[in-house]
Amino acid sequence: MIQESLMATEPTELSPRDGIATAAIRVCGLVKQYRDGTEANRGINLELHSGELVSILGPNGAGKTTFLRQITTELRPTSGSIEVFGIDAIASPEQAKQMMGITPQDAGVFESLTVLEHFELFGRLKGMRKTVAHREAINLIESLGLTAETEKRVGLLSGGQRRRVLVGIALLSQPPLLVLDEPTTGLDPSSRMVVWGVIRRAVTDGAGVILSTHYIEEAERLSDRVGIISRGRLIACGSLDELLGCLERSYRLSYRALLDPFGKVCKCYFASFAEAQQRVTSEHLSEYSITRATLEDVYFTLTGERLANRDEEYETLV
Amino acid sequence: MRRLSDILCVFRIQLISMRAEIGPFLLAALVFPSAMYLFAKAVSGSEATLPTQLRFLAGSIVFSLSLTSISWLGYLLLENRFTGRLKLFATLPLAPSSYICGFLLFAFVQASVATTTLLLVGKVFGVQVRPSLLSLALVVILTVLCLCGLGTVIAACARSFTEGSLLTDACGAGLVFLAPVYYPPEMMPRALRGASQILPTAFAADGVQAALSGSYAVGTQVIVLGLMSVFTLGFGFRLTNWRQN
Repeated sequence: MIQESLMATEPTELSPRDGIATAAIRVCGLVKQYRDGTEANRGINLELHSGELVSILGPNGAGKTTFLRQITTELRPTSGSIEVFGIDAIASPEQAKQMMGITPQDAGVFESLTVLEHFELFGRLKGMRKTVAHREAINLIESLGLTAETEKRVGLLSGGQRRRVLVGIALLSQPPLLVLDEPTTGLDPSSRMVVWGVIRRAVTDGAGVILSTHYIEEAERLSDRVGIISRGRLIACGSLDELLGCLERSYRLSYRALLDPFGKVCKCYFASFAEAQQRVTSEHLSEYSITRATLEDVYFTLTGERLANRDEEYETLV
Repeated sequence: MRRLSDILCVFRIQLISMRAEIGPFLLAALVFPSAMYLFAKAVSGSEATLPTQLRFLAGSIVFSLSLTSISWLGYLLLENRFTGRLKLFATLPLAPSSYICGFLLFAFVQASVATTTLLLVGKVFGVQVRPSLLSLALVVILTVLCLCGLGTVIAACARSFTEGSLLTDACGAGLVFLAPVYYPPEMMPRALRGASQILPTAFAADGVQAALSGSYAVGTQVIVLGLMSVFTLGFGFRLTNWRQN
């Protein structure tokens, strides 16, 4: 269903016009095998440019975090190469980290420090001067909607506010590359919008951003390109239009069975609107909708799995 | 210059974090060691001689250093490791050695506050102390380095937070009570005598006692504690790595 050109497992996917100097990240043949033999990443290739945001989408355990942890130099790959703005991130991790702002998935904060102290001290640890760190801390606090919490100890903040502090720490010193591992997990919808705004602004300012998520909506709304990772492989990577345009059956019929009006929602895919309508007529469906396929449908078509965080429950008939 | 700034930042983070923990610090660094001094003095009888009193005071200083360097510092390192704070440091272009050095600086500040206060406590209780400040500073610094090294190793090797905190607590107190810190080695049980004399706390207590009596003859203690510091800290630095395989 998906054209071969979107498959991201072959090294030939890398475009020759993309020189090392312009690539924020260049990953080639990345393999991570743990001691117990588990292959968390299997031959991943990816290139990210400045001013571009790539979302890595996949269910829990697909290998997203392992992939990002290797980019951030926290985890040593079994084989393959990672370059960050031309710097070999495996051989020179500290040099590579100078270029990055990182939000790990399960990082902790200092409960006794205030929000402002976090930003100022971590700004200093990123090499900023005291006055610059203070100024940037105030700007970030405002951008992240934490103004009322400026002098509050982080231990008194909600989980979502702490997550925003962690995202803010990654943004300090305006790094040219942001690596964000599920940056909005645990955030309420309005906080998520705030964080999306801050991330998109960084992209507009020229930063390259790679983030992992299991929120389809996040990938759809934020990304220039979406990479889909499943069982350790990057099975597709392209813009939303490219991914959607390659579905052979791009119309989705969602309906409830006639005799079970409170039951689960069923879904079928059709090549045309007319075909979908034909099914409605033949099945005498009264409660249904026909829509264009979404990223989630692409994801399902490629992986045969649904992402667990969707609100609706459904049975799928393809 | 950047390295120094990094070390100072890590130190400041720990110092600010301590705002909420000042009570437990006073207990571990001052109240318990002072109480132990009084306890030892009471048990020894009313006619404790000056060398014996100096031994008790030296023992209490070493007890305080042990509790703050192994138990407290080890606990902080463990907390950072198991609550994800270490990951936050690992995201920065910060050398692991700067991170450890920030903690060491924090331990030195704690040690100087505790040692000075305990000397004042000794003075209040009538111990005539004429310390050789240079010897005292040297022995205290090396003791802190050596014990912090142990705390770092435990924090890096522990498989869980519970296991690590149990070990740091046990070592913090155990190294004082298993070594001839408050009492001369002859008073220790025969089976423990040999092993207890090679513990770092034993050398620390001997060195602090000598320094408190105004002696500069702390060469042996300085050399042994120095070697132990190199070994434990070297091992601790080696084990503290941002990167996993």
